[in-house]
Amino acid sequence: MASKQHANWSPYDNNGGTCVAIAGSDYCVIAADTRMSTGYSILTREYSKICKLADKSVMASSGFQADVKALQKNLAARHLIYQHQHNKQMSCPAMAQLLSNTLYYKRFFPYYAFNVLGGLDSEGKGCVFTYDAVGSYERVGYSAQGSGSTLIMPVLDNQLKSPSPLLLPAKDAVTPLSEMEAVDLVKDVFASATERDIYTGDRVEIVIVNAGGIRREYTDLRKD
Amino acid sequence: MSIFEYNGSALVAMVGKNCFAIASDRRLGVQLQTIATDFQRIYKIHGKLYIGLSGLATDSQTLYQRLVFRHKLYQLREERDMKPETFASLVSAILYEKRFGPYFCQPVIAGLGDDDKPFICTMDSIGAKELAKDFVVAGTASESLYGACESMYKPDMEPEELFETISQALLSSVDRDCLSGWGGHVFVVTPTEVKERTLKTRMD
Repeated sequence: MASKQHANWSPYDNNGGTCVAIAGSDYCVIAADTRMSTGYSILTREYSKICKLADKSVMASSGFQADVKALQKNLAARHLIYQHQHNKQMSCPAMAQLLSNTLYYKRFFPYYAFNVLGGLDSEGKGCVFTYDAVGSYERVGYSAQGSGSTLIMPVLDNQLKSPSPLLLPAKDAVTPLSEMEAVDLVKDVFASATERDIYTGDRVEIVIVNAGGIRREYTDLRKD
Repeated sequence: MSIFEYNGSALVAMVGKNCFAIASDRRLGVQLQTIATDFQRIYKIHGKLYIGLSGLATDSQTLYQRLVFRHKLYQLREERDMKPETFASLVSAILYEKRFGPYFCQPVIAGLGDDDKPFICTMDSIGAKELAKDFVVAGTASESLYGACESMYKPDMEPEELFETISQALLSSVDRDCLSGWGGHVFVVTPTEVKERTLKTRMD
């Protein structure tokens, strides 16, 4: 009889990808590349990691895209129930709390998903929420998640450094840039990350949320 | 955790117009505990040649002593300083001698050649040379440095602008790395002078 087989199957994979979000005084920019990889292979060059959860909240997720899909489906169902019960769209800070709870609900078999949630709060100000895989979250002025985050984060710090969270009285976390400058910065940091991160590339999808609604742009990145 | 990350370090070198800059952080730690905040990891070989050694500090210092020894023998025999290319080959050969029990460091070499052409180069711990035209990075903050340099670097910078660029890249990178920081050290080398500056950074 053959010796016992070892269980070497994993329920998780890492599909890579990078997500960035920047909040301004009256807008929010959420961006992610459109490459989906596994190991050294590219599965597709046109996979959107960005999901519209409500009128004024947009989520970008990297990590394991099967888990991300399950998470998006879950949030969509919860948001539908919310709309039926309250007859309105969920606000972005409420969606942020819901996302945290949803992630923590699976604390001991987590969604392998690294999310940034961006949108407008109830006052119309831009907001960004950044998460770990088990739901720890924070409201920030800008954030990067995923495979290229270590390359992008110091550049965002350098360009947008928000006041220290330790300052009293608390300062606003929004960045001083105009909407157009923020979009250009996002294009620049993705172009840089693509040079050195094999999991980032092909194209960057940029979603801009402002009082006028949601707008989408695309910019090409290196395909190698 | 990797032995390369035991002490923590950040190293970067950039090429400018007829000049180069090499910069490092000043922290010496033992894993998460900070031991010293005035540590030198960039060494002068001669007036126009510098080497930075990232990785395990004890191996860096031993390696540095051997390199100084070999360079002094070269000076006595040849009555001149080593060219950066030659020195890089020497470092590579010394590292490869220990192919199966390496020095746990990743060197960054920067110098001006005899026609004052800038030369920068990095290596892995067993001496595989990587020559670059623009910038090289090493240490625990290398990923952050790659991101920062890739965004901030442009070719043919004058010494003053080069200093500003390498300093900004170093400072923003070490603030996102727990194992490096606590100050910075920058050398800007031109054919006529060497400017050495110390940077103040966040102390956390």
